[in-house]
Amino acid sequence: MVSVRYFLLTLIFCFSPLSAADGTAPILEGDDVFSGRAVRLSDYRDKVVLVDFWASWCPPCLESLPAWEALRQELGPRGFEVIAVNVDENTSDGLDFLRERRVRYPVLADPEGRIGIPWGIRTLPRYFLVDTQGNIVSDHRRFRSRDVEGLRSEILELLHSKTH
Amino acid sequence: MKRLLLTAGLIQALCVGEPVQAATCSCAGAPVLIYLDTTAVEKGQFFLSYTAEDHQINDLVSGSQDVPDETGRDRSTFSHVLSASYALSDYWSISALTSYVEHERKIGSSFFPKARSSGMGDSVILLRYTPFFITPFRRHELSFGAGVRAPTGENEAADFFILSEDMQPGTGAWGGIAWASYSYAFNQAATVQFHASANYLHNGENDRKYTLGREYNLASGFSHSLNSRFGYSALLRYRQSDPDRRFGFELPNTGGEWLDFVPAVRYSFTDRFSAALSGRIPIWRDLNGALQFTTSYSWAVSLRYGFR
Repeated sequence: MVSVRYFLLTLIFCFSPLSAADGTAPILEGDDVFSGRAVRLSDYRDKVVLVDFWASWCPPCLESLPAWEALRQELGPRGFEVIAVNVDENTSDGLDFLRERRVRYPVLADPEGRIGIPWGIRTLPRYFLVDTQGNIVSDHRRFRSRDVEGLRSEILELLHSKTH
Repeated sequence: MKRLLLTAGLIQALCVGEPVQAATCSCAGAPVLIYLDTTAVEKGQFFLSYTAEDHQINDLVSGSQDVPDETGRDRSTFSHVLSASYALSDYWSISALTSYVEHERKIGSSFFPKARSSGMGDSVILLRYTPFFITPFRRHELSFGAGVRAPTGENEAADFFILSEDMQPGTGAWGGIAWASYSYAFNQAATVQFHASANYLHNGENDRKYTLGREYNLASGFSHSLNSRFGYSALLRYRQSDPDRRFGFELPNTGGEWLDFVPAVRYSFTDRFSAALSGRIPIWRDLNGALQFTTSYSWAVSLRYGFR
């Protein structure tokens, strides 16, 4: 009976929640697939940046792209930017989609995980909000259109704290 | 999201034999391990699942031959299994389950035609290490696990007398589990995967000096996610069990080899909540001794919820 008690205590200990710490964003650099312009996250230190990892085979990711475009159009003048990282094995699959639904923010191609692995990408969708100091302040693993308003508030808060 | 969450069925159920030398019942126990959630998870992810399984154990077998049963026997086990998994890190996770088990046996020609028992079953805790896992950039996943089965269940259920071991909700003995699994994704979205697993279960002796046979399990099969909602899988599962022992002596008519087909379908209501329906259909078996009752079929419904 004592051993059963130890077993149950071990169970409780093992299932105690651990905190997930946010930290400095890993390196993110590459060329924009459309303009060929070099893009570095570190060049956006004065902006709040949404880093979005996506692929053409991920329906929620495709749904999110126009939402990011709309957010950028609205909040871009106040210091918000989006950097998208396409992880399709065949980058042309992602480009085909973008030709139909053009976005104005930079899109990098990462078919081999040069960017995605350091960012810890295991599943899609996955997007991060990075503050003006280059720190990841939030990490998202699902996209629903009703979540955009919450994300918008979060961005506005970061932009507000940037100006104060 | 794209990954089919049906690797749980890769571990075989515990096998509980009966300590008599007549036609005994193999694989009559609660499915303590079969519904252990072994899906690879990311740091901080938590999964809860509930499974209800109906296991019919009415096939009478001599070696590998089916034998007509004229005893009017009806033997079944209904199990409720609650399991949880938590990812301590991207590489280490812990899974646990506990169960509630209801056994029923009817024998038409017997002096005691009906026997029933129910109560808490055994529990399992498993620590898993996943050195590499499927991502958009990698097609392979490998996991190793080790754990214990704790005798949290009732094992002195009685009718007029203490019921046989296969009618007890729990085994009354500690057990050790070693386990490994491999998955390969055929596409980047990992919608089609090959799975293979092997595990070993060592059983200790209970306080009635009864020891379940050691078990070796191999399984392999495929899973396919048709879209973000529907998926299915099909596995072949081989199990070999040593004879049970009482006072250290092997019991005849216990143990053997089984090959089962395990189909399953899954529906995801949301990206966090899903349900699955699975079955177990015997394909071939070669059992020890002259006669054994064994699995006719089983089916199960599972509900699963994940969050961070």
